[in-house]
Amino acid sequence: MSALALKNKARPDLFFSLIVAALWVLLAFFVLYPLARLFGRAFTTDAGVFSIAPLLKILGNGNDMRAFGNSLMLAATVGVGGTLLGFLYALTAVRSGLSPRWTRIIDTVNLLPLISPPFTISIAILFSFGTRGLITYDLLGISQYSAYGFVSTAAAEIVTYFPVSYLTLRPILAGIDSSMENAAFSMGASRWRVFRTMTLPLALPGLLNAFLLMFSASLADFATPLILAGNSFPVLPTEAFLQITGQFDLQGGALLAILLLVPAAVVYFIQRHWLGERSFVTVSGKVAQRSHVEILSPLARKILFTVCACITVMVLYFYLLLLYASLVLAFGANSTFTLAHYHTIFTDGMPVIVDTLIISVIAMPLGGLYGMLMGYIVTRTRFAGRRTLEVVSMLNYALPGTIVGIAYLLAFNDPPFDITGTAFILIACYVFRYSPTGIRATVALLHQIDQSLEEASESMGARSGHTFRRITLPLIMPAFFTGLGVMFIRSMTAISATIFLISISWNLITVRILENMTELALGPAAAFSVLVVVIVYVVLMIISYLLAHLRAQSSGRVENILGG
Amino acid sequence: MAIKTNQPVSIRLDGIVKRFEHNVKGNISAVDNVSISVAPGELLTLLGPSGCGKTTTLRMIAGFEHPTEGSIYIGEQNVTGLRASERNIGFVFQNYAIFPHLSVFENVGYGLRVKGTPEAEMTKAVNDVLELVGLGGYAKQQPHQLSGGEQQRVALARAIVFQPRILMFDEPLSNLDAKLRTQMRGEIRELQKRLGITAVYVTHDQEEAMAISDRIAVMNRGTVVQIGTAEGLYARPCNEFMANFIGKANLARGRVVQVDGDGAHVKVFDQVLCCRQPDTPATVGEDVMLVIRPEQISLSKDAGSGCRGRIAKRTFLGEKTEYLLAIDQQIFQVCAFGHSQQALFTEGETVQVHFPAQDNHLIRS
Repeated sequence: MSALALKNKARPDLFFSLIVAALWVLLAFFVLYPLARLFGRAFTTDAGVFSIAPLLKILGNGNDMRAFGNSLMLAATVGVGGTLLGFLYALTAVRSGLSPRWTRIIDTVNLLPLISPPFTISIAILFSFGTRGLITYDLLGISQYSAYGFVSTAAAEIVTYFPVSYLTLRPILAGIDSSMENAAFSMGASRWRVFRTMTLPLALPGLLNAFLLMFSASLADFATPLILAGNSFPVLPTEAFLQITGQFDLQGGALLAILLLVPAAVVYFIQRHWLGERSFVTVSGKVAQRSHVEILSPLARKILFTVCACITVMVLYFYLLLLYASLVLAFGANSTFTLAHYHTIFTDGMPVIVDTLIISVIAMPLGGLYGMLMGYIVTRTRFAGRRTLEVVSMLNYALPGTIVGIAYLLAFNDPPFDITGTAFILIACYVFRYSPTGIRATVALLHQIDQSLEEASESMGARSGHTFRRITLPLIMPAFFTGLGVMFIRSMTAISATIFLISISWNLITVRILENMTELALGPAAAFSVLVVVIVYVVLMIISYLLAHLRAQSSGRVENILGG
Repeated sequence: MAIKTNQPVSIRLDGIVKRFEHNVKGNISAVDNVSISVAPGELLTLLGPSGCGKTTTLRMIAGFEHPTEGSIYIGEQNVTGLRASERNIGFVFQNYAIFPHLSVFENVGYGLRVKGTPEAEMTKAVNDVLELVGLGGYAKQQPHQLSGGEQQRVALARAIVFQPRILMFDEPLSNLDAKLRTQMRGEIRELQKRLGITAVYVTHDQEEAMAISDRIAVMNRGTVVQIGTAEGLYARPCNEFMANFIGKANLARGRVVQVDGDGAHVKVFDQVLCCRQPDTPATVGEDVMLVIRPEQISLSKDAGSGCRGRIAKRTFLGEKTEYLLAIDQQIFQVCAFGHSQQALFTEGETVQVHFPAQDNHLIRS
């Protein structure tokens, strides 16, 4: 009865009908139209005739196919490596009886890759293992060591993305009812047997999900391979970028982006339709601190803790190295302390900092509001096309940034919509690409808020607009703040889509870091990176404070804080 | 008491149908052709097992759901197409639906604020109604500081303060403990009578329904099975479902041996029992069922003629003793009050069974 009642949602009245119409117009313009242009450009000749000849040409091109294969291999490696590392961390955090203080330290360090520009680890790897690297050259005395290629790219991506896998797996491991394991123990099973027959199978859907998250993050990653892959290891996102910026071949770029879409779509399908029905563990969102230590022997606990401590120290080392590089005259050559790089970025670099901040500060509330509104509409109202609206609203988020960037470039570079290079297009790109976190947070929160609250308001004569303002809005504020936080992090750190959309008048810190790296201006690059991490950290702290003030928990799902 | 009330109004449901699209079962009717009238000032309870459509019916009266077919009238007004916000109803939810971010005062005053009531008038009305439900001095409290019973009173105060035309209750007591439940149902009934407001009440608890209602509409599988007073439903259930749903019942199979006027004589085991004929009278030779309540059967040790049974089980419950009695292959429930000699029967003992000779209730199969 109540299940039936829940399915029966209110038809939107005029107020919400207008909002739904406005959302459709926005999505049509900023999501569907660019994608249509992408496919149009990819499959038409210059004469404007439909043709698959260009696609066949790409499929026959050895280099492009190698990039495709490389992308898949890299994604698979990062998928396995990141999942394993995340699982080790999750096991350590949940099952090794770690003190809350140690868990907090590990969590804080793990947060770093999630809030820094996506190629921060890559830069630190170059600083450590490059030709004049701290470890390879200074410490080991190896000269002419090449840090470019598959291994370093995979390593950088694993370190960058494994926190996502850790944060996905931790609640799943914590959510496994210990009574099941205890039941197995009581029947005489050994620790290893319980782990093998209980813990692992129960965590399997979570592991697969973590693998897919890692896989798609790596597949879409543009910044790491651009810095670390080198010429010998081309991957699709960078090839598409070079095709467009180097050879001005828009069609080739569009086709490579579409090629990238195939594995991305497969992953999306597996996650949505297959994995969704196969989770054994109900995750309530609360990480219960229960005693789970029986499963791990004291020795295993020590080993796990040591491995995790080493990796945490390594991540910390990478960031300290970045800080160090920003504070010496010439990294690897002259270690004299200086603030010159900071002086450079706050003088020459100031316009870029201001641009980035303006865009982030505008995108943040817009994306937050849009996410909250969309989350509300798809959860609490009923109208034809609601499911479609939800799927379309997630598209730009689910697609690799390179695809979105090229689609926007194709759609908004010519009349009638000649807006590439404006702040407007950058903000629009961020809003429709990064607000799905806010949408999901809102949806998750609304599922916890009983519909009777809104009905109570309605029964007392309040119309839907009034109910939304006075009842629903205050209750979904935590989701709004989660959305704000993610919007800001991503606006400050994103590069894959927006690198196609910047101009002389509007440039971004991340793009400038990349330029610095190619010009070997390592000091300013490091200083910019440190600045971004500091700004994002401070803003996140403020948002956390506001959230805590609201006495509510952030319901943002971790998997959404992916780089791009 | 300063709470103003409106002239009580009637409620009328006219052939209400509600169909849902179900993922697996396809198109299902949650409510199927329900017609009910509630008199002005009456408290009508919708009673039924879970999934019977009672809550859906209530939500359609409130305007949270809209019927697929049929019309709903409040007073003379056809409200079928109106939103809940346009119907002027007070609704008490199963989980109270207290707004967690608003104080008790703001919760109760919400409806008045929506209507744009002047501040001074609102403050007075809220304080009066809080006084009325026994929460004087609670205005500044936050919802999480309240006990379940107090939240229930806030929900009640909030539903009546803005002078709704009708009051609706969706299983309002199901989250309270047994003692508080009994107390609160008395208070709700008292308040409803005092305000003279028409009310519809949903519950699955038949004792609660019998205690609180003027009339009860029993629902099953989306339809109304029978409407009547508690006494009427208990004494004259219209079918087997009703007989079992309201109170405990023994259904004794028998055959009509004689009919005269509005009476019928039914042979049950070796006894001929007199019954009142139902609306469509039974004929001689027809197989029927008699509804015999456990307390209507008496047992004795004397070995006279008539029906004999064996005590299969005895349960002593203080003020009464319940027996399971085996007659032929049938099991009968028997209830004996007080510490009469009946309490002395032991399990396995064979006893004389006395069915009521007159005025039995007959159900046609």
